[in-house]
Amino acid sequence: MAAYVLRRVLWGVVLLALVSLLTFVVFYVLPSADPAQLRAGRNADPGTLAQIRENLGLDRSLTAQYWTFLTHLVLHADLGFSYFSGASVGSLLVDRLPATISLTLGAVVIWVLVAVPLGVVSAVRRGTWVDKLTTTGALLGISAPVYWLGLVALYLFADDIGKLPLLPGAGAYVPLTEDPWQWFTSLILPWLVLSSTFTAVYARLLRGNMIEVLSEDYVRTARAKGLSERRVVWNHALRGAVTPLVTLAGLDIGLLLGGAVLTETVFGIPGIGRLNYEAIVHSDYPVIQGTVLFAACFVIVANIVVDVAYAYIDPRVREQ
Amino acid sequence: MRRSAKRALPLPMLIVTALLLSACGSSSNNGGGSAATADDGAGGHRGGTLTVLTSQDIASLDPGITYQSLDLNVLASTVRTLYTYAPTDAATLVPDLAVGPPQVSGDGKTLTVRIRRGVSFGPPVNREVTASDVKYAIERGFNPNVANAYASTYYGDVVGADRADGGPIAGIEIPDDHTLVFRLTRPTASLLAQSTVLPLSAPVPPEYAKPLDAKAPSQYASHLISSGPYMIPADSDGKVLGEGYAPGRSLTLVRNPNWRAATDHRPAYVDEVVFRIGGSPTVYGRQAFAGRGLVLADPPTPALVKKAYQEARDQIFFSPGAGTRYAALNTAIPPFDDANVRKAVAAALDREQMRRVRGGAVIGDIASHFLYPGVQGFEEAGGLEGTGVDFLVHPEGDRALAARYMKAAGYPDGRYTGDETIQVVGLAGAPDSNDAQIFDQTLKDLGFKTNLKIVGSDVMYGRFCGVPRARVHACPNVGWIRDFADPQTVLNLPFNGNYIFPENNPNWPQLNDPAINRAMARGELVVGEQARARAWAQIDRMVTATAAAIPWLYDRQPNLFAADVRCVPELWNQGHCDFAYTSLK
Amino acid sequence: MSVGAPGLLAHEERYERDFAGGVARSPWQLFWRRLRADRVALAALTVIVALILVALLAPLVVKLAGAPGPNVQDRNATDMFGTPLGPNGAHWFGVDPLGRDVFSRTIYGARIALLVGIVGTGVAVLVGVTVGLLAGYYRGWVDTLLSRFVDVVLSFPVLLLGIGIASACSLGSGCVGGAVSPGVRTVILVVVLVTWTSIARVVRGQVLSLREREFVVAARSLGASNRRIVTREILPNLTAPVIVYSSLLLPQTILLEAALSFLGVGVSPPTASWGWMIADASDTFDTQWWYMVFPGAALLLTVLAFNLLGDGLRDALDPRADR
Repeated sequence: MAAYVLRRVLWGVVLLALVSLLTFVVFYVLPSADPAQLRAGRNADPGTLAQIRENLGLDRSLTAQYWTFLTHLVLHADLGFSYFSGASVGSLLVDRLPATISLTLGAVVIWVLVAVPLGVVSAVRRGTWVDKLTTTGALLGISAPVYWLGLVALYLFADDIGKLPLLPGAGAYVPLTEDPWQWFTSLILPWLVLSSTFTAVYARLLRGNMIEVLSEDYVRTARAKGLSERRVVWNHALRGAVTPLVTLAGLDIGLLLGGAVLTETVFGIPGIGRLNYEAIVHSDYPVIQGTVLFAACFVIVANIVVDVAYAYIDPRVREQ
Repeated sequence: MRRSAKRALPLPMLIVTALLLSACGSSSNNGGGSAATADDGAGGHRGGTLTVLTSQDIASLDPGITYQSLDLNVLASTVRTLYTYAPTDAATLVPDLAVGPPQVSGDGKTLTVRIRRGVSFGPPVNREVTASDVKYAIERGFNPNVANAYASTYYGDVVGADRADGGPIAGIEIPDDHTLVFRLTRPTASLLAQSTVLPLSAPVPPEYAKPLDAKAPSQYASHLISSGPYMIPADSDGKVLGEGYAPGRSLTLVRNPNWRAATDHRPAYVDEVVFRIGGSPTVYGRQAFAGRGLVLADPPTPALVKKAYQEARDQIFFSPGAGTRYAALNTAIPPFDDANVRKAVAAALDREQMRRVRGGAVIGDIASHFLYPGVQGFEEAGGLEGTGVDFLVHPEGDRALAARYMKAAGYPDGRYTGDETIQVVGLAGAPDSNDAQIFDQTLKDLGFKTNLKIVGSDVMYGRFCGVPRARVHACPNVGWIRDFADPQTVLNLPFNGNYIFPENNPNWPQLNDPAINRAMARGELVVGEQARARAWAQIDRMVTATAAAIPWLYDRQPNLFAADVRCVPELWNQGHCDFAYTSLK
Repeated sequence: MSVGAPGLLAHEERYERDFAGGVARSPWQLFWRRLRADRVALAALTVIVALILVALLAPLVVKLAGAPGPNVQDRNATDMFGTPLGPNGAHWFGVDPLGRDVFSRTIYGARIALLVGIVGTGVAVLVGVTVGLLAGYYRGWVDTLLSRFVDVVLSFPVLLLGIGIASACSLGSGCVGGAVSPGVRTVILVVVLVTWTSIARVVRGQVLSLREREFVVAARSLGASNRRIVTREILPNLTAPVIVYSSLLLPQTILLEAALSFLGVGVSPPTASWGWMIADASDTFDTQWWYMVFPGAALLLTVLAFNLLGDGLRDALDPRADR
């Protein structure tokens, strides 16, 4: 077991290195703006630009630049400084992380609390109006673009522009430490919108799994043994049906922690997704590299956790 | 001398000219606004916190680097330059750090300025400001780690400036602690005096800044030392980054404990100014309109302009003389190397529509040449009527005339039939992207095949419009604002053939007309406001006639603020509320 | 989603329907029978065909509706402050801030959505199937290499990768030496890059299990070459899952194109794209609701139709499932 964990973690580290290389290649080789000019503040003097390029190390070969980046990261935990604002990338990430975590965790809570009962109930009462309603809703949930849903939600419920002013609108987010109530209310609409797609996907998936599981032998055995239907469904069947969902949820959480750029854009939440997007638009390489690595980290860690959990449950997996 | 557009583009905009501009100061010649007139702030209430909402971050707080209108707005209340303007009188040079008017010698090659006593730096430097602090501030502009954008332009005539690289400049002399003498190689001392309104002349303590300036790039911006009524909170070393300034998030200004009101004409009513950075301009606009104590630093959207104009006129101020917007056509490569083709495009462009998508007649006048209302020489070059060229007579465009010009260019049907695909690069964000699309459609209607790119400001300038080898044919979202009212600062850099650079090129049309270049060289040395106005007005006419760029708007920048804010607009800086004069009702 | 007679489980109904009359039918015939009986899927198919027709015949549709072209800027449709008019007789869906007809642009937006969706999915499937096939069939180091590569791509925050590439390639002369020019081609490239891995994984899994099946083992023992085995035995059995997966992937690629356009890195204006229109509308949707609602509804409708069809296909193809 320990050997398996070690192998997975080592592979995770290699993955991170490869991701950083891929990021480097993509964003350095395909630039959109000249960071030296950003720095120069539009000074028209070509000599100054050359000087700044030298200062930033942009005139060295790509391999040299990548090596510098790697050594700084590994030896000093230094992700560099933003070309655009001069702030350290690490501080920018730390600054934006709470917003992303707030958004992600809230959305996860909602989608678990909603998707599981919906999935189970619609599987058990297959064919009834509950099932139909759920499946239709789920279909709409996976078909509607999240940013559009966000705009519609704002149009209806935002307290500054909505037809039924109920909840704070875009741009209302404040950190938890500043004003807990406002933090909470400003996140309600984003949570609902962000979780909608996931709820839909998971409810459908769970429904499908549940239907399969409910027709399997061990469930019939449980029924035959005289257990109440409720116990059969919630204790026995659900356990079998939910495992793939847990895997998926782990991966999705990892993905979301890297930043949900679309939701953050619509609701004006200063999270990591938005930071990454702005960095790409400004060609702010250090920030791009930092945020991508950060996001990849979460995804990789989530993968490792899930794999290890699987290996714990199913020893055959460890041999792979 | 900078690209126009309040927040998408930088603009150092200072109006100098002590003598002649008072007529064009605050009550400008336009019909658009019986909106709030410029308040000079007298009698305001003390206290309170002003909150400024801005979607764009501060580019740099270093007075040696700063060149953007928002940054200038911040610096205007945190540092003191030799001379400045009272916010509502963009014509009169007012001594700030200096005492008395600038003394220009008879031959125009010496400028003497006396420094006021009793002005102190903020913590942690805490000592009195002396002339050597101003000398160092100017010298560091030539340091490549600072790389000031206009140092060589305006201070380049100082003796020794051509060899300057951050070390002492011989031509800046300090006979005593409170006197500065500039010795020049050419008789341009009055221009130099005017240029001291730019933040480069704000004092910087050398003992504190030298170690920071030795780093590449200079770290002074994160340790800004104040000399004005407000400062940015810093830690005990003076570092503001992380204390009063969180990049992309917030900036705070608090009172400078070492500022003495007796040495300053600024009332400094509010106790604190807090910037909220990075949100959406639309959301900020709504908040500023309906909230309290809020000022919107971004240009309000056309919808908001309409709403404020119709419902709350005293919450919006249209600041006149905020620059000229124009579309630059690349004269170096086909098809716009042909003047007839350029004139055809100019004739076809519906400038009225370009203005309308920005908010309509209230936000500016249709432009017909490049000097704009409030700049010397504007009237001499034709004023609002224009210089008389036929292709700019009709604000809504004249398709028949455009067709005639195309025929003159060799396209018998009046439409383009060549092979070039026109690369058009516009600015992202409404309404700029809308203007780019109007321009793009105009080209298409003339038969051109176009490839339109809508990109962010840094990319537009840094990768496309400012880089000749990118071979961009048209940049419809560019513009220019003066550094001060002298017309040279509006026309020289953007249209002089000597200023075509491979990168960061300000002469976007790459206009290189020998007659114009010669006229500009002569115009630089003309003395006397009237004579200069006439000389540069003539140059304006010449540039307009080439159709290298199509002027389409004289900006009257709208500024929005909450109902309880008594905003005192900086007429010299696109109407941003001046924090040292603004108060809460 | 079939509606059943009470008393029968879904798979029992299916059995009845499939084998009623005692006639033996081929798998494809069974597939068609099941699909035809699924009313919802048929409705979705009709909608999709209609959408494709509308997209292909966009100029005609717009002309028939009496609307101006998608790039015609109507000066009279905006007031003196530049505020556009809402839905009215001349402009059914209102106009955008430039005075362009929203109905027209919504119709033309279907072109981009369907083009990127169909072509993008097609190419992604091609790439994914190839990689999955190679990895699953040859196994060994080929499999390890390809699977690890897929792992790396999957660890990458794919939307961000897509944004980065789209942003970079949409400027100037594009990338890959100009082979990928800015515009639709870049978007298709990005869409393919982001989505091919899921198909690759599925195909690999399928091939791994298929290659151990009796008919493959038999073919190999008879001396058939690898190519024969792949083309005659494996590929045909991949068709069903690939179709199912493609139909599930298509709506996602359409949403991806819209998301890229929403973020400003998809197709450039003035080309009409639903995502771009929604982004453009996000500043003014509180007063100009039509500009946000109609493109969004069109997008929702399209994606929904493809999802429903995908569900129907999966139900019809999968003999086991009774969803």
